Amino acid sequence: MKDIYVLGIESSCDETSVSIVKNGTEEIATVISSQIDIHKDFGGVVPEIASRHHVKNITIVLEECLNKANMKIEDVDAIAITYGPGLIGSLLIGLEAAKTLAFIYNKPLIPVHHIAGHIYANSLVKEMEFPLLAVVVSGGHTELIEMTDHYKFNKLGGTLDDAIGECYDKVARVMDLEYPGGPKLDKLALKGKVTYKLPIPLKDDSYNFSFSGLKSAVINLAHNEEQRGNELRKEDLAASFQKVAVESITLKVRKAILDKGIKNVIIAGGVAANNILRKAMKDLTDELNVKLSIPPIKYCTDNATMIAAAGYYAYLDGRRADYYLNSASSAKLN
Amino acid sequence: MRILYIDTSSNYLYTAIVENNKVLCEVKKEFGHQLSEMALPEIVSMYENNSIDVKSINKIIVVNGPGSFTGIRIGITIAKIYAWSLNIPITTITSLEAMMISSKSKSFYVPVIDARRGYCFGAIYNDKKEQILKPQHIKIVDLEQKLKDTKDYIVITNDDINIEGKKESYNPDIAKIVEYFQDKESINPHAVNPDYLKLTEAEESKL
Repeated sequence: MKDIYVLGIESSCDETSVSIVKNGTEEIATVISSQIDIHKDFGGVVPEIASRHHVKNITIVLEECLNKANMKIEDVDAIAITYGPGLIGSLLIGLEAAKTLAFIYNKPLIPVHHIAGHIYANSLVKEMEFPLLAVVVSGGHTELIEMTDHYKFNKLGGTLDDAIGECYDKVARVMDLEYPGGPKLDKLALKGKVTYKLPIPLKDDSYNFSFSGLKSAVINLAHNEEQRGNELRKEDLAASFQKVAVESITLKVRKAILDKGIKNVIIAGGVAANNILRKAMKDLTDELNVKLSIPPIKYCTDNATMIAAAGYYAYLDGRRADYYLNSASSAKLN
Repeated sequence: MRILYIDTSSNYLYTAIVENNKVLCEVKKEFGHQLSEMALPEIVSMYENNSIDVKSINKIIVVNGPGSFTGIRIGITIAKIYAWSLNIPITTITSLEAMMISSKSKSFYVPVIDARRGYCFGAIYNDKKEQILKPQHIKIVDLEQKLKDTKDYIVITNDDINIEGKKESYNPDIAKIVEYFQDKESINPHAVNPDYLKLTEAEESKL
């Protein structure tokens, strides 16, 4: 069979990224321009600033990626683009770029949902085996998705309010950790003990999550300790918070594995880099005798490699977009 | 010399292909929030309906602002990707220059775009089309102040702005705009960027 090269473009938040992937599994070249240092000063991503940087970076990132791959746009078979969900102004830059390239070079335009991208980061590591359960955990998403085959998504549940990564960043702020605080909180927790009592959110029979209550519980706890004149043991609070946040994930993952007879679990999204979550998921899947796949950290955060990988399978699935394709800040995965 | 013109800085898509000072085809349509969705397909149809080869363009002139931030980015992204990928010379002009050139008046020109809260994006050009006040984000009253000794001027705007002076609405004369700017020096496509004339609110609150 002829090799298929997909060029992926991702600009849904604060990373401008372009990648070329062969046959959905082999990364040829990837370039990521991160704005993390720019948004750090504002304590979070400022949408208008993010959009301004995307438009500045887009051709530079494209050129670097093509140079790295030693390829021309003529050489790729399709152009995959994150159309949503994400920040609308940011998404638009990648989208207009992808549409324009598809027009100029007469290439198929493949719409890719950002979550599908996170899931397909796993296909860059090893072949995905079905049926599988995808545990998507990131700054914008917390979802359990069952897949019976490539590009057959069935959302079992998701967060009812904040995403887990968002909750991590907000809790980290309470602890005076600089944005993005999630990874710093994870590090800090390694030095602490579980001493603070926090509620496990949404301990029910659904596949859903809730993190805003947990966030409030941490804020209240910090506030109460301060009022009582007690010193806040940040390491311990980090460890206590992590335990509860991760347990609320494993609780629902366990339920999904047992209910649905799942044999393969994959983790996707930026929070997949979290140490405690990785360990808890490994313990759980070992106990239930289920295979677990976690992509390397470079594929966990936002990148175009995963979009190009997902784009390949979407391409095989016959998915195409016309030039009317629009960005959708809250697109549904289907 | 075949030139592609793109302006998405307002609610309208203004685009045309101009050859030897003649408009081969053009689109002037209001889209509002659908501009992001519609800009490229409209441009594609313009090429297809007139059997124009995408690679036959010799130069691109794109409006880099001021105006709608999102709008400007749409046109700039399309234009810079186009110019970069096919190695076509590209140059930018401001929406205010386009407004000034399109006017049929023979006086001082004051193109203005509403920027809300008593502000506008505006500039002043004399009757020889030379810049007197560079394009800027300015309080309407301050702009009026700068005009107080100017006798004969025309305010060009499509917005409902309360500003002193005779008014004229804007309908781009793309042939004229392109003719006026076709020899403007081209720039590296990587450096083709919006000129918002205004910081983001997040940046302003940090000042």
